[in-house]
Amino acid sequence: MGVDSTLVEALRRELGSDGVLDRRSQRVPYECDGLAFARQVPELVLLPRDTQQTAAAMRLLHEARVAIVPRGAGTGLSGGATPVEGGVTIGTGRMRSVLHIDALNRWARVQAGVVNADLGHACESHGLFYAPDPSSQKACTVGGNVGENSGGPHCFRYGNTSQHVLGLVIVTPQGEILDLSEPQVDPQGLDLVGLFTGSEGMLGIATEITVRLLPVPEVVETWVALFRSLDAACDATSDLIAARAEPSAIEILDKLTIEAVEQSVLRAGYPQDAEAVMLLELEGSEASVQANAAVIEPLLAVRGAFGLRRARASADRARLWAGRKGAYGAMGRIAPDLYVCDAVVPRRHLRALVRRTTEICSGKGLRIANVFHAGDGNLHPNISYDRRNPEELRRVLEAGDEMMRACIEAGGSLSGEHGIGLEKLSAMPWMFSSEDLAVMCRVREAWDPECRMNPGKLLPIRACMETRMRAPGAT
Amino acid sequence: MDNHSLVDYAKSLDCVHCGLCLNSCPTYRITGRESSSPRGRIHLMRSVAEGAIEPDDDFAEEMDFCLLCRNCESVCPSGVRYGAMMEHTRGALEERRQRPWTARLARSIGFGILRDRMALRVTARLARLAEGTGLARLVGAPALPRHAERVLLPTHMPAEGGELARVAMLEGCVMPELLGHVQRATAQVLQRAGCTVQISPMHVCCGSLHAHNGEVKAACELARATIEAYERLTDERGNPLPLIINSAGCGSHIKEFEHLFADDETMAVRARALSGRSFDLSQFLAREPFRSRLMQRLNPKASHQGPYAWDDPCHLCHGQGVRREPRELLQAAVGDGLVPLADPESCCGSAGIYSLLRPRDSQAVLQPRIEALRASGARTLVTSNPGCQMQWEAGIRTAQLDVSVSHLAEVLERASR
Ligand SMILES: Cc1cc2nc3c(=O)[nH]c(=O)nc-3n(C[C@H](O)[C@H](O)[C@H](O)COP(=O)(O)OP(=O)(O)OC[C@H]3O[C@@H](n4cnc5c(N)ncnc54)[C@H](O)[C@@H]3O)c2cc1C
Ligand code: SF4
Ligand code: SF4
Repeated sequence: MGVDSTLVEALRRELGSDGVLDRRSQRVPYECDGLAFARQVPELVLLPRDTQQTAAAMRLLHEARVAIVPRGAGTGLSGGATPVEGGVTIGTGRMRSVLHIDALNRWARVQAGVVNADLGHACESHGLFYAPDPSSQKACTVGGNVGENSGGPHCFRYGNTSQHVLGLVIVTPQGEILDLSEPQVDPQGLDLVGLFTGSEGMLGIATEITVRLLPVPEVVETWVALFRSLDAACDATSDLIAARAEPSAIEILDKLTIEAVEQSVLRAGYPQDAEAVMLLELEGSEASVQANAAVIEPLLAVRGAFGLRRARASADRARLWAGRKGAYGAMGRIAPDLYVCDAVVPRRHLRALVRRTTEICSGKGLRIANVFHAGDGNLHPNISYDRRNPEELRRVLEAGDEMMRACIEAGGSLSGEHGIGLEKLSAMPWMFSSEDLAVMCRVREAWDPECRMNPGKLLPIRACMETRMRAPGAT
Repeated sequence: MDNHSLVDYAKSLDCVHCGLCLNSCPTYRITGRESSSPRGRIHLMRSVAEGAIEPDDDFAEEMDFCLLCRNCESVCPSGVRYGAMMEHTRGALEERRQRPWTARLARSIGFGILRDRMALRVTARLARLAEGTGLARLVGAPALPRHAERVLLPTHMPAEGGELARVAMLEGCVMPELLGHVQRATAQVLQRAGCTVQISPMHVCCGSLHAHNGEVKAACELARATIEAYERLTDERGNPLPLIINSAGCGSHIKEFEHLFADDETMAVRARALSGRSFDLSQFLAREPFRSRLMQRLNPKASHQGPYAWDDPCHLCHGQGVRREPRELLQAAVGDGLVPLADPESCCGSAGIYSLLRPRDSQAVLQPRIEALRASGARTLVTSNPGCQMQWEAGIRTAQLDVSVSHLAEVLERASR
């Protein structure tokens, strides 16, 4: 079996001809996500419009034993949406409707392909917002956010996606519809929604997502503070946390990042003479913001912060944030490709590990820029490279591994928010014992005994005994 | 020509595949298809250059499907020069494309007419005649104004209330035929702002439609002719006059003439000089002393068809980065009658001659904009590009909305009487 003309015909009947892409030039652009060096052209791309169509397609693919890779906007940075050989990519690009907003009870139900920022706009007029705000929010989908359990600057205060997902409609690998969409604050029975969130497309496809909305705080204030060294900015972060003077976001950009941002369309007016820029956000009632500000300002001053700017008007705040949110793209001015590491370290080691990442990269002759969710201890060393140079790519990957090991040795973890995907597959055993991995595999097999969903990602093959998996196309 | 040269490979490397442009792209939003997104199209171009795919019909189709609205450029943090890249690819594809002779003929007639004032006038006459027969309705052509409307502007129009400056104004190819009243309003507003307005009798077309549609050779010839024509309009000291343009598409193209002369440094210098003194009408009127002079004459109460909504033409906001000036002027002209329009920087689907070449896609792109217009409650939609103006008019007719469409110049003219 596998992908043949009978299957394509049957899929066309279910999805219409626009929903089945089989021409090569329509498939090639799906060969990678944000991890651009990993590539595989999918055999087919399917674009269902809703849960029913997704289920119909998945049933056919189940019968034909074809591997499936779910895909949102393909902004993932760990290769989660990289196609697999002989497999089919199912994209949510045509599932873009906000289905319902319950302003009173503060939740919304959206199709999986709704763009994170579009959800934000949709609830704005109700005085509500959706808290997880990945820097890619103008493009990434809520389905992709669920897949990766994504975070963002404000997740320091509000928590990652999993804390905001109240319900899901899931299509299982066999094409059955599992409706868990009633908003559940305290899940009854096994928390399947919790399990699914962060499963990187290995348990099925989420087609509808019910999310928690929060009331927009009375006052939101964005601060920009400058530092003469990256160390000082890291120390200030530790001080803030130690003093429990916690803003809702603490982000740091280093000099190289500042330069790239200021040369881009996203110019945020960050002064270029600083070695580090810190972005903070304070929110709450007028009184609490004032009180918090009174604690924070001297703490920053102790570490030599200067040029403090505070903005309240939403246009000004947006401008200050734009630079941070576009930092990754802006780095594209430096070299054709960019590799973004995603590692978490205990916050008291922030300074030491930021240094260590710089040493590792410069030791390998690589250019690194640091931009990170400091509040969460979530580092994002960005390495510029050119994927056409295999030797350079090898050094990049080595550096990635070394940085990852350094973080784990310091008591950190493999991924803050970008997921494991293909990128960190080989690092899983550094963090987990083979027993741990075997348990994860058993959970996965309970959903997908044939391991047809996003195979070869997240769980190392051997641990998962995926060798048992029949190659797609074999019977 | 090898496949590599179909693509501006060096520019394609600027894309880091971050995807931040996807949601701003109208063709991606209507199809949900990566290959119809900016990132996808760049990926395809790069794949052609690297030999991973053939530049076949499917490839050409994706390139043609693009509106060249350049919304993607405005949001790309990596500074990808998408417009230039696409024009390069379209030009190269056109060169090797085997069109049937009928299509070639139609194209050469169509693009030829634009360059020739006589031909434009004759075509307009014929089209006006055809309208009587119902033929034009059938093919969805825009309604043509009466002959009396279609007069060319005088070559010299004196400033009102004392001359502050002398300027050249682009009369354009189709504008006098289709939107003569806009041309007259533009000149009048400039005169009221203290400018003596001069028209180049030699000049017809800047070639922007040619460049967007792969007719590179013609585009270069027309650019050269444009540069020469406006070098001859000078002040008493022999300095060329600033050039005022009221069509966003032409403005954005003229400001980027330089790209067309990559291997002709002398022409490139002259192109840069013209770009440097070219202004969108709104940009120019927002400068002192013209602004103050015009403001004195503006009388917001004189506007009659509010509320008003402003639609940014793509080639003004994305192409020229002009956003603030037209809003400020409009605000001054209509007072508090300005209402917000959702997604004002998103393409209306006109996109030069796209609406004629791909009517269905063009309609699909327009649809959400019409809904936004309906929701805005505006009764006059204001824009500043001839194609957009006609596209909106057609869409509004179909949707049976009670909204009229005006060029910014017309609103300013009415408010400054
Ligand atoms: C510029 C930039 C900035 C970024 N900033 C952040 C950040 O601040 N925080 C952060 O966490 N991430 C960030 N990312 C990474 C990325 O944007 C997130 O991982 C995002 O959630 C991916 O969403 P997507 O729609 O692009 O999904 P994709 O990349 O298409 O898919 C991601 C994973 O989810 C799976 N998936 C997608 N849709 C579904 C579905 N409907 N059901 C089940 N599985 C599905 C896929 O199989 C894949 O494994 C950034 C990326 C970029 C390019
Ligand atoms: S935003 Fe720019 S760099 Fe990012 S994918 Fe689009 S074109 Fe490429
Ligand atoms: S120019 Fe417009 S239509 Fe073309 S890719 Fe960019 S945003 Fe899309």
